Amino acid sequence: MSKKIIALVMAMLMLVAVFASCTNSSGYTSKNTEYFIGCTGPLTGDASSYGISVQNGAALAIEEINADGGLNGVKFKFDIKDDQAAADKASAAYDQLFEAGMQISIGSVTSGSCEAFAAKAKADNLFLMTPSASADICIAEPNAFRVCFGDPDQGILAADELVENFENIGAIYDKSDTYSTGIYEAFAARMAELNVEFKTESFDAENKKDFSTQVEALKDCDVIFLPFYYTEAGLVAKTAVAKGCDAVLFGCDGLDGVADQVDETVTNTIKYITPFDVNSKEEKVAAFVNAYTEKYGSAPDQFAADGYDAVMVIYEAMKKANVNDVTIAPDALCDIVKSTILADGFVYEGVTGSMTWDESGAATKTPIIIELGK
Amino acid sequence: MKNNKKTTNIKFKDYVNYVLIGALLLYGLVLLLTGGLRLSTAQLLVQMGYSIILAVSLNLVVGFLGELSLGHAGFMCVGAYVGGFCAVFLKQAMPEMKLIILIISMLIGGIVAAVFGFIIGLPSLRLKGDYLAIVTLAFGEIVRNVFMNQQAFGGARGLTTGSIIYDTRRSPTLFIAVFVVVLIMIFVIQNLVKSKHGRAITAIRDNEIAAKAMGINVTFYKLFVFIIAAFFAGCAGVIYSHTTTPVLYSFFSYNKSIEILVMVVLGGMGNLTGSIIASVFIAYVNFILQNQLSGPLASLRMLVYAIILIVVVIFGNAPALKNFREKYSISAFFSRFKKKDAANRKDDEAKWHRVPTKIKMDAILSTDLNPNSDMSIHGDLGNNDGKGGDK
Amino acid sequence: MITLIDGLSLGSIYALIALGYTMVYGIAKMLNFAHGDVIMVGAYAIMVTLSCSLSPVVAIIVSVVLCTLLGMIIEKLAYRPLRGASPLAVLITAIGVSYFLQGLAQIIFGAESKPVGSSWKLPAIPALNKHGITTAALVTLICGIIIMVVLTLFIKCTKTGSAMLAVSEDRGAATLMGVNVNKIITITFAIGSALAAFAGMFYLLQIPNAEPMLGAMPGITAFTAAVIGGIGSIPGAMVGGILLGVVEKFCLASPLSSYTVAVKFSLLIIILLVKPTGLLGKVSREKV
Repeated sequence: MSKKIIALVMAMLMLVAVFASCTNSSGYTSKNTEYFIGCTGPLTGDASSYGISVQNGAALAIEEINADGGLNGVKFKFDIKDDQAAADKASAAYDQLFEAGMQISIGSVTSGSCEAFAAKAKADNLFLMTPSASADICIAEPNAFRVCFGDPDQGILAADELVENFENIGAIYDKSDTYSTGIYEAFAARMAELNVEFKTESFDAENKKDFSTQVEALKDCDVIFLPFYYTEAGLVAKTAVAKGCDAVLFGCDGLDGVADQVDETVTNTIKYITPFDVNSKEEKVAAFVNAYTEKYGSAPDQFAADGYDAVMVIYEAMKKANVNDVTIAPDALCDIVKSTILADGFVYEGVTGSMTWDESGAATKTPIIIELGK
Repeated sequence: MKNNKKTTNIKFKDYVNYVLIGALLLYGLVLLLTGGLRLSTAQLLVQMGYSIILAVSLNLVVGFLGELSLGHAGFMCVGAYVGGFCAVFLKQAMPEMKLIILIISMLIGGIVAAVFGFIIGLPSLRLKGDYLAIVTLAFGEIVRNVFMNQQAFGGARGLTTGSIIYDTRRSPTLFIAVFVVVLIMIFVIQNLVKSKHGRAITAIRDNEIAAKAMGINVTFYKLFVFIIAAFFAGCAGVIYSHTTTPVLYSFFSYNKSIEILVMVVLGGMGNLTGSIIASVFIAYVNFILQNQLSGPLASLRMLVYAIILIVVVIFGNAPALKNFREKYSISAFFSRFKKKDAANRKDDEAKWHRVPTKIKMDAILSTDLNPNSDMSIHGDLGNNDGKGGDK
Repeated sequence: MITLIDGLSLGSIYALIALGYTMVYGIAKMLNFAHGDVIMVGAYAIMVTLSCSLSPVVAIIVSVVLCTLLGMIIEKLAYRPLRGASPLAVLITAIGVSYFLQGLAQIIFGAESKPVGSSWKLPAIPALNKHGITTAALVTLICGIIIMVVLTLFIKCTKTGSAMLAVSEDRGAATLMGVNVNKIITITFAIGSALAAFAGMFYLLQIPNAEPMLGAMPGITAFTAAVIGGIGSIPGAMVGGILLGVVEKFCLASPLSSYTVAVKFSLLIIILLVKPTGLLGKVSREKV
């Protein structure tokens, strides 16, 4: 019994002692010999196509930068950790990267993960330029920026586009996903503004396999709006065929990648919004597409382009600010890069278009709508 | 002679539990004070802490009361959501008093979880064995599903607790508070088990009807155990909500419940020290496999986990391996704990065989045909005699 | 009406899986947690065979044979050594086997869900399609009923069937009567796994994507169905499976759709509280 009491008392004493004397454990970057750009993304799991594309695109950018001699002779290093598009895994991966000496990041690939990533990055004041996390909450913090469109922008754009071209509009969205609800809410608000009625169905992460109920309810629509990722969109398309529904399927940038999910039996027209046209004749885009195809054996999608741009923006900004300390702390680097990007006249000409940034962290650029197979 | 042995044995066990926790705490403290504590190590220590709480509290239900529960993650879920919600709220009221926020939110989360423990304890009065197991599993899934649909708790996108993350990035101190909670819990549960209430609980496990005949209030004790276990699981959930953002319903699926059950089984049913070691071990393995392996290698996690599970259970329980086990297990598996070993191991084994009387599948059916099963019956009797009623 | 047909067809998938659970429970007295993952293996078997551009018929045969063998191997390697050990130990091993199969599938095929291939598809019947009834649902429903009838006949009318009944009734007495219990248990696992292969096949007809976790949720739901019907009872599994399928579909189509999981499991709890051994389960008294 006495031993127990002693143990408890000891524990309490230590507790007090530690609260009294807080120590500091920063300085992970002091041993860096290269600038370290970190990232988390889904390399396995349902959204893995995005993560792998971003990984490839970013790696290509790093390769090009290093081939040019890096920044003032210092090379860059890129590491992406697998988060399976799950917020808690992204949060753990952030700690790993941070301890490994990450100085600046391109955040996370998907919105849910990026939200968790940004929460931690804010505490460390670490700069993040996410290639593809489009939810507004991901860039709510002053240190967070993005390359892609925002969810609300896409929702509004989609509403305008659909109202102009179709009569009978239906929508399905994923309630458990930040990205999907973000677009849907803006879409619904815009539809209300335009005074157009439409039908809605929803699903969640537990029920994202069987879409027969949703398609059944929206069978008579001319167009179904699908603001979610390609795996589910592929299943919706197949269910539509089985149910004899010939509506046009219209999605956002998450549908990039749906081509591998559908086959010749899917007869519905599939359209989606994207900032990146792989068939563009523009010199910069063509050069990127060629280099990517040569390296990875397949044409880049929008996520690869976003990943490439995110790294390039960071590099351009660091070059412009003439950063010259390889062991610079994330905190200091963040302030430098941020003020450079927000300065008047900073325009980045990327493969996903010409971009500028404002205080909100959102990029300004123009979208295009492409049709699958055309 | 026998009595003497028994008391020293139990005392030593007490001591071991506190020493184990104390060692972990000390390890963290030394690192912290020397400034060498990495964020991920602090995170790991917290994970070990709440794993211990979960495993020990589940052990109370499975190992001591003898009811198989597959819904322990459900209680954790209640605690995490309710406690996390409270903490977010409190944080606005008094942003600086972190320790107080932690304590209050833990109490509230734990008490709400205990209420759920009472609710889930009710069917246990009427249902037995596998049927109760599936009901607890169902309970866990229902809780998760209901929280997923509460907009107040963030709906399907999870409860954002980003602003209450207990640890500051510069000095991660949450693990200290967690281990203090663990010590308190061990103190409570260990003394409960040793008290006359604990003996009543194990009596219910060993034979409910006989226990009833002896005048033990079965209803009271069953509910009591469920409530205590749920309370601590709720506390574990609150700790989880203080380290993770967002708190997401998908974390608390039945796989999580099974993971906790695995800790209990690996550690030995009705053996608190075993639960502690097993939960520390599994939390560590999870951490290593999850964080160190990335890409395709990450899927190895499940495979490694599965193989460990199958091999350990077959090795530990196959009737055919009984002789082999008795010969080798001491030196091979427990060499690190050599001193207490001989007595303890027999303890566990006897309990292993005794629990099934509750998790009811026809006892007669399991004793035929197999020439080895005869042996195992004799073995049981031998064991029981040998260490003479450890309760 | 359409919801009812969709529900019945989903219900017959659940019933097929639940039959596997209930037969194994009735005869081996164990919960085969890995049963759901046999479905997943069956689905991947179909996917792989089709990707070798073989015909769907070959794919079905490969899948059924593979699953049957897998069931027997699992029984032999993982469960037989534990015969006579604590049921909880067996349950944990079953969970281990389940994780093992999922992990293996993740390593071989990756964690993402993969489309099964365009040849795995039934021709649409325009007359029905107009009303939103899919061919897959109808085929599933009809085949499901046929399989259940055949199974019932098999158990009632064949010698092996009566031996199975005998073993589940009283294993000791069955042994004395000269029944080879080990063989019967192996056969039970083989049949259960073959049923799982069929379930996987029908599942793929409705949801043409295969993934490592494919079997987990249907497995748990079917397990619930088996318990609702009274675990160990074959008609009970069918009733329970179909009931759950219909409830799930109606729930999804109603405003309560996001509470589907809660509704399914609440149904289980309510039924068990009213009838502690399920709808058609046998009541057993505990003796001192």
